[in-house]
Amino acid sequence: MNTLAVVITTPPYSPLTATAVNYVETALEAGIKLVGVFFYQDGAMHANGHISIATDEYQAIFHWQRLQQKYSVPLHVCATAAEKRGVILGELTDEVVNKSFTVSGLGELVELTSKASRLVQF
Amino acid sequence: MHSQAQNKLPNTSKKANIPKKVNNEAGLAIINSKAPYSSHYGKDALDVALIFGSYEQKVSLFFQGDGVHQLIAKQDTSLLSIKDYLKTFAAFEFYDIEHVYACQQSLLTRKLEPSFHITDVQVLSTTEFSAALNQHQHVLRF
Repeated sequence: MNTLAVVITTPPYSPLTATAVNYVETALEAGIKLVGVFFYQDGAMHANGHISIATDEYQAIFHWQRLQQKYSVPLHVCATAAEKRGVILGELTDEVVNKSFTVSGLGELVELTSKASRLVQF
Repeated sequence: MHSQAQNKLPNTSKKANIPKKVNNEAGLAIINSKAPYSSHYGKDALDVALIFGSYEQKVSLFFQGDGVHQLIAKQDTSLLSIKDYLKTFAAFEFYDIEHVYACQQSLLTRKLEPSFHITDVQVLSTTEFSAALNQHQHVLRF
Protein backbone atom coordinates (compact mmCIF):
# COMPACT_ATOMS: atom_id res chain seq x y z
CA MET A 1 0.00 0.00 0.00
CA ASN A 2 1.22 3.46 -0.84
CA THR A 3 1.75 5.54 2.25
CA LEU A 4 2.39 9.26 2.32
CA ALA A 5 3.75 11.72 4.86
CA VAL A 6 3.69 15.45 4.24
CA VAL A 7 5.93 18.14 5.72
CA ILE A 8 4.80 21.76 5.63
CA THR A 9 7.59 24.29 6.17
CA THR A 10 5.87 27.32 4.66
CA PRO A 11 3.48 29.72 6.45
CA PRO A 12 -0.33 29.62 6.06
CA TYR A 13 -0.22 32.71 3.85
CA SER A 14 2.17 31.04 1.38
CA PRO A 15 0.74 30.21 -2.06
CA LEU A 16 2.30 26.77 -1.64
CA THR A 17 -0.29 25.90 0.95
CA ALA A 18 -3.07 25.69 -1.63
CA THR A 19 -0.90 23.31 -3.65
CA ALA A 20 -0.26 21.23 -0.53
CA VAL A 21 -3.95 21.01 0.36
CA ASN A 22 -4.90 20.06 -3.21
CA TYR A 23 -2.12 17.49 -3.33
CA VAL A 24 -3.14 15.90 -0.05
CA GLU A 25 -6.82 15.84 -0.92
CA THR A 26 -6.15 14.25 -4.33
CA ALA A 27 -3.97 11.61 -2.68
CA LEU A 28 -6.66 10.82 -0.11
CA GLU A 29 -9.34 10.55 -2.79
CA ALA A 30 -7.06 8.19 -4.71
CA GLY A 31 -7.00 5.88 -1.68
CA ILE A 32 -3.43 6.64 -0.62
CA LYS A 33 -2.91 6.31 3.10
CA LEU A 34 -1.74 9.58 4.60
CA VAL A 35 0.11 8.77 7.82
CA GLY A 36 0.24 12.40 8.85
CA VAL A 37 1.15 16.00 8.14
CA PHE A 38 4.02 17.58 10.07
CA PHE A 39 4.18 21.37 10.38
CA TYR A 40 7.74 22.59 10.85
CA GLN A 41 9.57 25.93 10.61
CA ASP A 42 7.12 28.65 9.45
CA GLY A 43 4.60 25.88 8.85
CA ALA A 44 4.05 25.86 12.63
CA MET A 45 2.09 29.10 12.25
CA HIS A 46 -0.80 27.06 10.85
CA ALA A 47 -1.53 25.91 14.39
CA ASN A 48 -2.13 29.45 15.65
CA GLY A 49 -5.87 29.59 16.29
CA HIS A 50 -5.85 33.39 16.15
CA ILE A 51 -4.59 33.80 12.60
CA SER A 52 -7.01 35.65 10.39
CA ILE A 53 -6.52 35.61 6.65
CA ALA A 54 -8.37 38.16 4.51
CA THR A 55 -11.61 36.69 3.15
CA ASP A 56 -10.58 37.14 -0.49
CA GLU A 57 -7.41 35.07 0.10
CA TYR A 58 -6.97 31.31 0.26
CA GLN A 59 -8.16 30.01 3.63
CA ALA A 60 -5.32 27.59 4.26
CA ILE A 61 -6.08 26.80 7.89
CA PHE A 62 -9.77 26.27 7.18
CA HIS A 63 -8.91 23.74 4.48
CA TRP A 64 -6.49 21.82 6.71
CA GLN A 65 -9.22 21.66 9.36
CA ARG A 66 -11.68 20.45 6.76
CA LEU A 67 -9.30 17.65 5.67
CA GLN A 68 -8.65 16.77 9.29
CA GLN A 69 -12.37 16.41 9.99
CA LYS A 70 -13.28 14.63 6.76
CA TYR A 71 -10.40 12.15 6.62
CA SER A 72 -9.11 12.15 10.23
CA VAL A 73 -5.72 13.31 8.99
CA PRO A 74 -3.30 13.70 11.90
CA LEU A 75 -1.94 17.27 11.89
CA HIS A 76 1.22 17.52 13.99
CA VAL A 77 2.88 20.81 14.84
CA CYS A 78 6.49 20.90 16.00
CA ALA A 79 6.52 22.18 19.60
CA THR A 80 9.85 24.03 19.33
CA ALA A 81 8.90 25.72 16.07
CA ALA A 82 5.49 26.67 17.49
CA GLU A 83 6.98 27.99 20.72
CA LYS A 84 9.34 30.42 19.05
CA ARG A 85 6.44 31.73 16.96
CA GLY A 86 4.22 32.38 19.96
CA VAL A 87 1.81 29.55 19.22
CA ILE A 88 2.55 27.84 22.54
CA LEU A 89 2.31 30.13 25.53
CA GLY A 90 2.52 28.01 28.68
CA GLU A 91 -0.86 28.05 30.43
CA LEU A 92 -2.44 29.85 27.50
CA THR A 93 -1.51 27.09 25.06
CA ASP A 94 -5.03 25.63 24.91
CA GLU A 95 -6.41 29.05 24.02
CA VAL A 96 -3.89 29.67 21.26
CA VAL A 97 -3.39 26.31 19.55
CA ASN A 98 -6.00 25.40 16.97
CA LYS A 99 -7.85 22.30 18.23
CA SER A 100 -7.31 20.44 14.96
CA PHE A 101 -3.57 20.28 15.63
CA THR A 102 -1.56 18.01 17.90
CA VAL A 103 1.54 19.48 19.51
CA SER A 104 4.38 17.01 18.85
CA GLY A 105 8.15 16.80 18.91
CA LEU A 106 10.51 16.21 16.02
CA GLY A 107 10.41 12.53 17.02
CA GLU A 108 6.97 12.47 15.43
CA LEU A 109 8.60 13.40 12.11
CA VAL A 110 10.89 10.39 12.48
CA GLU A 111 7.83 8.23 13.19
CA LEU A 112 5.89 9.52 10.17
CA THR A 113 8.90 9.17 7.88
CA SER A 114 9.50 5.57 8.94
CA LYS A 115 5.85 4.72 8.16
CA ALA A 116 5.74 6.46 4.79
CA SER A 117 6.88 5.22 1.41
CA ARG A 118 6.83 8.84 0.20
CA LEU A 119 7.65 12.05 2.00
CA VAL A 120 6.61 15.31 0.34
CA GLN A 121 7.58 18.78 1.52
CA PHE A 122 5.82 22.06 0.77
CA MET B 1 16.87 1.18 -7.61
CA HIS B 2 19.39 2.52 -5.14
CA SER B 3 21.66 -0.50 -5.57
CA GLN B 4 22.26 0.55 -9.17
CA ALA B 5 23.06 4.05 -8.08
CA GLN B 6 25.43 2.64 -5.47
CA ASN B 7 27.46 0.81 -8.08
CA LYS B 8 28.20 4.09 -9.78
CA LEU B 9 29.45 5.52 -6.54
CA PRO B 10 32.71 3.93 -5.47
CA ASN B 11 33.44 6.83 -3.09
CA THR B 12 30.30 6.53 -1.06
CA SER B 13 29.22 2.93 -1.15
CA LYS B 14 31.94 1.57 1.14
CA LYS B 15 30.33 2.60 4.38
CA ALA B 16 26.78 2.07 3.18
CA ASN B 17 25.01 -0.07 5.69
CA ILE B 18 21.39 -0.18 4.67
CA PRO B 19 19.04 -1.67 7.24
CA LYS B 20 16.55 -4.03 5.64
CA LYS B 21 13.85 -4.06 8.27
CA VAL B 22 12.86 -0.43 8.18
CA ASN B 23 10.66 1.03 5.51
CA ASN B 24 12.97 3.89 4.63
CA GLU B 25 15.68 1.55 3.38
CA ALA B 26 18.27 4.12 2.44
CA GLY B 27 17.08 6.67 4.94
CA LEU B 28 16.62 10.39 4.80
CA ALA B 29 18.62 12.89 2.78
CA ILE B 30 18.65 16.46 4.04
CA ILE B 31 19.61 19.08 1.47
CA ASN B 32 21.09 22.25 2.90
CA SER B 33 20.93 25.06 0.38
CA LYS B 34 21.09 28.23 2.46
CA ALA B 35 23.99 30.21 3.94
CA PRO B 36 24.33 29.63 7.69
CA TYR B 37 23.62 32.92 9.49
CA SER B 38 21.04 34.88 7.55
CA SER B 39 18.24 32.47 8.41
CA HIS B 40 17.39 29.53 10.68
CA TYR B 41 17.22 27.00 7.86
CA GLY B 42 20.60 25.47 8.68
CA LYS B 43 19.82 25.10 12.38
CA ASP B 44 16.34 23.67 11.66
CA ALA B 45 17.90 21.14 9.27
CA LEU B 46 20.51 20.22 11.89
CA ASP B 47 17.80 19.62 14.51
CA VAL B 48 16.04 17.21 12.15
CA ALA B 49 19.32 15.42 11.37
CA LEU B 50 20.19 14.96 15.05
CA ILE B 51 16.73 13.65 15.91
CA PHE B 52 16.87 11.09 13.11
CA GLY B 53 20.36 10.15 14.29
CA SER B 54 19.27 9.71 17.88
CA TYR B 55 16.37 7.47 16.76
CA GLU B 56 18.97 5.38 14.91
CA GLN B 57 17.53 6.25 11.52
CA LYS B 58 19.81 6.62 8.54
CA VAL B 59 20.35 10.24 7.64
CA SER B 60 22.76 11.86 5.19
CA LEU B 61 23.50 15.54 4.75
CA PHE B 62 23.87 17.22 1.38
CA PHE B 63 25.25 20.73 1.01
CA GLN B 64 24.78 22.60 -2.21
CA GLY B 65 24.47 26.20 -3.41
CA ASP B 66 25.02 28.70 -0.60
CA GLY B 67 24.58 25.78 1.81
CA VAL B 68 28.26 24.88 1.33
CA HIS B 69 29.13 27.95 3.42
CA GLN B 70 27.86 25.98 6.43
CA LEU B 71 30.82 23.63 6.07
CA ILE B 72 33.56 26.25 6.27
CA ALA B 73 35.89 25.47 9.16
CA LYS B 74 36.55 27.80 12.11
CA GLN B 75 33.71 30.24 11.64
CA ASP B 76 33.30 32.86 14.36
CA THR B 77 29.75 33.99 15.11
CA SER B 78 30.60 36.07 18.18
CA LEU B 79 30.37 39.32 16.17
CA LEU B 80 26.86 38.41 15.02
CA SER B 81 25.34 37.58 18.43
CA ILE B 82 24.26 34.27 16.95
CA LYS B 83 24.54 30.90 18.61
CA ASP B 84 27.13 28.90 16.69
CA TYR B 85 25.11 25.84 15.72
CA LEU B 86 27.88 24.77 13.34
CA LYS B 87 29.92 23.62 16.33
CA THR B 88 27.47 20.75 16.66
CA PHE B 89 28.64 19.41 13.30
CA ALA B 90 31.56 17.93 15.26
CA ALA B 91 29.06 15.58 16.95
CA PHE B 92 27.91 13.88 13.75
CA GLU B 93 29.91 10.77 14.51
CA PHE B 94 28.23 10.48 17.92
CA TYR B 95 24.83 10.53 16.15
CA ASP B 96 26.00 8.00 13.55
CA ILE B 97 25.70 10.56 10.78
CA GLU B 98 28.38 9.19 8.50
CA HIS B 99 27.57 10.73 5.17
CA VAL B 100 28.14 14.43 4.64
CA TYR B 101 28.38 15.49 1.02
CA ALA B 102 29.31 18.79 -0.60
CA CYS B 103 28.61 19.72 -4.21
CA GLN B 104 31.88 20.42 -6.02
CA GLN B 105 30.26 22.73 -8.55
CA SER B 106 28.89 24.88 -5.72
CA LEU B 107 32.43 25.19 -4.30
CA LEU B 108 33.87 26.17 -7.67
CA THR B 109 31.18 28.80 -8.26
CA ARG B 110 31.98 30.32 -4.85
CA LYS B 111 35.75 30.03 -5.31
CA LEU B 112 36.11 27.87 -2.20
CA GLU B 113 39.31 25.82 -1.99
CA PRO B 114 38.89 22.02 -1.86
CA SER B 115 40.35 22.11 1.67
CA PHE B 116 37.98 24.82 2.95
CA HIS B 117 35.73 22.50 4.86
CA ILE B 118 35.45 20.79 8.23
CA THR B 119 36.58 17.17 8.46
CA ASP B 120 34.70 14.13 7.20
CA VAL B 121 33.05 15.84 4.26
CA GLN B 122 33.03 14.18 0.87
CA VAL B 123 33.16 16.50 -2.11
CA LEU B 124 31.20 15.03 -5.02
CA SER B 125 30.81 15.99 -8.64
CA THR B 126 27.35 17.01 -9.76
CA THR B 127 26.69 13.52 -11.16
CA GLU B 128 27.92 11.76 -8.02
CA PHE B 129 25.99 14.20 -5.87
CA SER B 130 22.70 13.48 -7.60
CA ALA B 131 23.40 9.73 -7.64
CA ALA B 132 24.06 9.76 -3.89
CA LEU B 133 20.85 11.72 -3.37
CA ASN B 134 18.98 9.20 -5.48
CA GLN B 135 20.01 6.42 -3.07
CA HIS B 136 17.73 7.86 -0.42
CA GLN B 137 14.11 7.01 0.17
CA HIS B 138 13.18 10.43 1.50
CA VAL B 139 14.42 13.97 0.92
CA LEU B 140 13.89 17.16 2.91
CA ARG B 141 15.22 20.50 1.70
CA PHE B 142 16.20 23.46 3.84
